[in-house]
Amino acid sequence: MTDATTMAQSASMKQPEGLRTKLPSGWGTAATVAAAWIVLIVASGIHRPDFLSHQTVLAVSFTMAIVGILAVAQALVGMSGAILDLSQPTALILSAAVVAWLLERGVPVPVVAIAGILVGAAWGLANATIIVFGKLNPIIVTLATNFIGGAVMFLIFQNAQAPLKSGFSDFGRTYFLGLPNIWWPMVALVLLAGYLVPRTRYGRHMIAVGGNRFAAQARGISLRKTRFAVFGISGAIVGAAGILFAASNGPFAPAVGSTYQLPVIAGVILAGVSLAGGRGSIWLILLSVGFLSTVPTSLVFFGFSSNWQAVFQGLILIVAVAIDGFRAKRLQR
Amino acid sequence: MRMTLRRTLATMTPVLLALAMAGATTGPAAAFKLGMAVGGDTCCDWMKAQGDVAAALAKQRGWDYMELSNNADAATATKNADLFIQGKVDAVIEFNGQPSVNPVLAAKFAAAKIPVVTYDISQKGFYFVGIDNLAAGIAGGQALGEIAKAKWNCQPDLVLSSEGAGAGIVNTWRTGGMRTGLQKVCPDIPADKYISFEGNGQAVVSLPAARDVLAAHPDAKKILVVGLNDGGVLGALQAAEQLGRADDIIGWGQDGSFITGNNVDPHLAGSVFYFLEGYAVYAMRDVIDKIAAGSPPAVKDDAGDPASRVQPCPVSAAEAAKIPGTADRVAALLKAPAGTTEYDLFCPKKS
Repeated sequence: MTDATTMAQSASMKQPEGLRTKLPSGWGTAATVAAAWIVLIVASGIHRPDFLSHQTVLAVSFTMAIVGILAVAQALVGMSGAILDLSQPTALILSAAVVAWLLERGVPVPVVAIAGILVGAAWGLANATIIVFGKLNPIIVTLATNFIGGAVMFLIFQNAQAPLKSGFSDFGRTYFLGLPNIWWPMVALVLLAGYLVPRTRYGRHMIAVGGNRFAAQARGISLRKTRFAVFGISGAIVGAAGILFAASNGPFAPAVGSTYQLPVIAGVILAGVSLAGGRGSIWLILLSVGFLSTVPTSLVFFGFSSNWQAVFQGLILIVAVAIDGFRAKRLQR
Repeated sequence: MRMTLRRTLATMTPVLLALAMAGATTGPAAAFKLGMAVGGDTCCDWMKAQGDVAAALAKQRGWDYMELSNNADAATATKNADLFIQGKVDAVIEFNGQPSVNPVLAAKFAAAKIPVVTYDISQKGFYFVGIDNLAAGIAGGQALGEIAKAKWNCQPDLVLSSEGAGAGIVNTWRTGGMRTGLQKVCPDIPADKYISFEGNGQAVVSLPAARDVLAAHPDAKKILVVGLNDGGVLGALQAAEQLGRADDIIGWGQDGSFITGNNVDPHLAGSVFYFLEGYAVYAMRDVIDKIAAGSPPAVKDDAGDPASRVQPCPVSAAEAAKIPGTADRVAALLKAPAGTTEYDLFCPKKS
């Protein structure tokens, strides 16, 4: 497994002895999450054998689709040292609303898709502009823009919906190879981003800035350009999630994007992406989001009401943050 | 002559005071001032429209108008009560979806001697204007029961309830009322066929929760859905569609939010309209106009014996297709003669 561990860290830290030197970094996280996922599936299957059905696979994969894409965008922000983009909910709904609005007016789907991605990218670049030129903390800026954007959207519309009787909405609720159409773009994005980040110049710059921005600047890497690139690309990815959100959901209000915030952040941290920046594997998002998306379905099979889902997701987030803190301390030693 | 600021003020103050006193004794009386606390939940377009209609009706009457949003938040609703009192309103309309603080609001307004109209959620001392939620729920449940009887001989495999616990007693009345109505038509549906999940009255929240419930009942082929409102029911219908089971499910909503226009889910068989955006007509006609005229009516704060009752209007999807959307309904309402309600204008089956 390729892990985008910061170059600064990898250069300065001692490598652990023994087995770890022979295994790809990040294997421990992958093994832990995969084991948790398998235990959950096996336990649910033993409790209710009909858990192991195509219906469950569909339910889990539909849940994974949007969360997984948002998690990739969030992971890029986290790895670059900007901690979190808390404005994702607004960017998601803004993109979805523009998509629905254009589709209602008969604009062709390819044009609509490009518009959705551009709206997300523009949102990300607007965040980057405030962060870079205001020299402000990204997490505070995105928290504020999320509030502002949500309020402005509410002034403009209270509900939006893509046309139900359209090829676009059909795409959002039908399958390819037995899995939801909207699941495949997520998988493709995770694989592509996971491959490109450690292998391209921009990807390495992003990780270097996240690991140690002073060292990165000393090596001639522009913090400003990196911030713009990261927020622009992650915004575009959120825009893509908005397209799939509009295709697969019914009427949506401006504030509903916040329902994704908790599972996305939990998925990113569980995948081993350090909130301190400079470390993490995009590929592990497939495992972490898969596990987290199975939890709510599994809870229903165990007879828990849907009210318990947020409780369990919150607990998993706390555990993931604790593991992240433990990892950070271990790396400092 | 050099005038200092102090000397200028000393000269002008008595003059200004005299002018103000003259104005107070000879000018027109201050206009009646209406306060409106809108719900502020971003779920639904009718919530904002409630304020728009109240503002338009107040303007028609030449009243001053002060609107605040409760932001679906108890603390904000409490703060807003203070702001209304400071703003010296003569009457207030409250749509407060967080009824736990209503006793606090009631105490504040009573101390300030400001009469209050409450929409849909009763509070001792407030004029109750609204729907009989339980009756509306039962009406919707009975309509769905008739469909289940005709199509499945009252033998569904599953009855899903998309709850909205945050709405408190309103959810109990509406969603529970729908189950009661269904049982009136189909009394022999076993208790274990009824499954509830939290949909929060929003399709986006209801959809994944319903998807999991449906996955846990893979053999259910005849599924009915009831819920707090259209949004909550829609989420379940779309979940079934995503799981390839769209033809196995029928839903009946409440509030009519998503059953008008040309973008309606074909599996939403009907809904119960309350025409929520037009409640201000009832409030003005039966309560606030009388307060403004100096003859306030007796306080009726019980949902069972309200100051003004809003009539529920159950409609099938075919009937709903002829009802215009919220914006067009509001426009028509504001052009109609005073006291005309949306029920009068748009309900196809008046009782």
